[in-house]
Amino acid sequence: MNDINQKPPSVLLENVSKWYGEVIGINDISLAIEGGVTGILGPNGAGKSTLFKLLMGRLKPSQGTVRLFGIDPWKSTSPYRRIGYVSESERMYDWMTSLDFISTLARLHGMSRDEAVERSKHVLDFVGLEDVHHKEIGKYSKGMRQRVKIAHALVHDPDLIILDEPLHGCDPIARTSIMSVVRELGSQGKTVLISSHILEEIERITEQIVILHNGKLLAIGNLHAIRDLLDQHPHRILIKCDSPRELAQLFIREDPVYGVRFPEDGQLEIQTNNLSAAHDILPSTIVKSGQKITSIENPDDNLDSLIGYLLGGINNG
Amino acid sequence: MVTNLPDDIDIAGTKTRMEVAFGSGDGDEDMTAIVAKKESNLGAIFEQSYKPWDGELGPRWMRNYSIFRHHVYGLFTSKGHRHYHPFVRLTILVILLASLTPIPMLFLSSLLPGQDGDFLSKMWGINRFNLWGQILGYFPRNLCMWPLLTALVVGGMISDDRRNGTSAIYFSRPINRFDYTAMKFISVAVILGFVIIFSYFAYYTSAIVFRGEGWAFLIDTLPLFLGGMLSGIFLVLTYTSIGLALSSISQSRFFAAIGFLSIIYGTKIVALLIDMQFDTSILYILSPYDCLAHIGQFLLGIELNYEHPLAFSIISLIIMNIVSMSILVSRISSMEVTRE
Repeated sequence: MNDINQKPPSVLLENVSKWYGEVIGINDISLAIEGGVTGILGPNGAGKSTLFKLLMGRLKPSQGTVRLFGIDPWKSTSPYRRIGYVSESERMYDWMTSLDFISTLARLHGMSRDEAVERSKHVLDFVGLEDVHHKEIGKYSKGMRQRVKIAHALVHDPDLIILDEPLHGCDPIARTSIMSVVRELGSQGKTVLISSHILEEIERITEQIVILHNGKLLAIGNLHAIRDLLDQHPHRILIKCDSPRELAQLFIREDPVYGVRFPEDGQLEIQTNNLSAAHDILPSTIVKSGQKITSIENPDDNLDSLIGYLLGGINNG
Repeated sequence: MVTNLPDDIDIAGTKTRMEVAFGSGDGDEDMTAIVAKKESNLGAIFEQSYKPWDGELGPRWMRNYSIFRHHVYGLFTSKGHRHYHPFVRLTILVILLASLTPIPMLFLSSLLPGQDGDFLSKMWGINRFNLWGQILGYFPRNLCMWPLLTALVVGGMISDDRRNGTSAIYFSRPINRFDYTAMKFISVAVILGFVIIFSYFAYYTSAIVFRGEGWAFLIDTLPLFLGGMLSGIFLVLTYTSIGLALSSISQSRFFAAIGFLSIIYGTKIVALLIDMQFDTSILYILSPYDCLAHIGQFLLGIELNYEHPLAFSIISLIIMNIVSMSILVSRISSMEVTRE
């Protein structure tokens, strides 16, 4: 039975397409997102920023409907009371201190002066900038600027937070900090959309992903479930060690391994159809060999490979 | 294990074998190193504790007021507001003080007895010509002061947002394009109005106070004062709409400022040259200043010194404002959208 009073999802796209002349930005995408952190993954040019601009009412869909909390963002700015948006390219007022900047933006949401200052201090504290909030933004590092952007998106306590490549250009510590912030927001029940073209980054934040490629929706759902679906595809494990040939003799006897290669000196590539089973036998086999291992990598464990597999699956299908 | 070491070898490390053998230092005895102390804690991973906010966001007027104050308060302090260059602030202050110069003369006229006081009062006192001149006099007000004031204020009003992409700050919040445009317009108009209308009001008030005029004088001159104020409002609105239109079509505050000055001075000079050469004033309808001056002369009851009909100036001024507002609205509508 349909509940007519059912709350609309935070984000709803129905058969949305966007064309730039003859170039397709987004191609017939339908999805609904509500609660938790969702990673929007895709290589450069996949349509992530176009998707966000459609959500933020900066683009009108060529076809289909976009709804934020049930309202068309192209026609009304009212959903933005409940949205915090971090644009990849947005500039800030560099002459202002972060506290002044964020409290100014808080007032653009309709907060009183005292509320704006108090809330700004809290969000700056939340993103770890409380010690430098009296410093001008122009003097901040890239990572600190990204955190200021996140703080200004949070100042009015939005229900939906849209982060367009927030980790881009950040140093590892800033990345870790921002990831922690995003995870915390997700755990508080906020709907967070975060885009990236790096799988590992998103994997550290959330398991819920949407994969875009050439404007098309390639996959949606739990990252591990998607990986499991891909398990029947060949995977590679690259091991750097002293004597790859001796190690290869041990691995080739194991069931999950169907082939080995030696791409370079001191490197062994194991080929398997069952990645998790191969990882299960990895420690015992290495211990048995008694070899010193420098590194173990999964070359297929990145977004390009994932997309390649998904496209292969689609083509095969 | 080391045993049977000579007594003079110090295995604690303060003396080396070389020093023991040759009794000389190897240069390392005073060896020191300075290691930069890590004083900041920027590398620390901070603890997150997000606290939801249970307050109520204010209504539309509060959001719009915050845009207004950002631009207007910035003239007084950059802290948390729009940044105006100190030179711009100083110039605006100088223009304001210059526009108030008749007030000390009126004060002086009230102090001086007899003919001297009467002379000063006649020169700077309230009459329809002085009221017109306070707003629409060409030199120095409309040659140096008002156009320069407008150029400085409108220069970066929208073009800065276009150049820096800071308009996204507004449009990703519940602020629609109408509110954004309206508040920018009102901000500029209020700043111009503060200098132009306020100085006019101060001049009129001080003339009454310093000369000790009564109700009869007030009743006599009030219509003239209101006519002048209406002219001032027209001037502020026209200069604001032309200036903001120019600011909205560029990404350079310099272009907007120079463009505005070029329109004001350029049309005036062309019309003046045509008038001198061909003895016709019709081209003055292209000059925003002259249209305003023409209408101002009518409102204050001064003899019109333009040959063409007043209706031409009124229609021309309306068209100028409509065209400017259309450009402004069209450019703001496409902001952030046309970038795609």
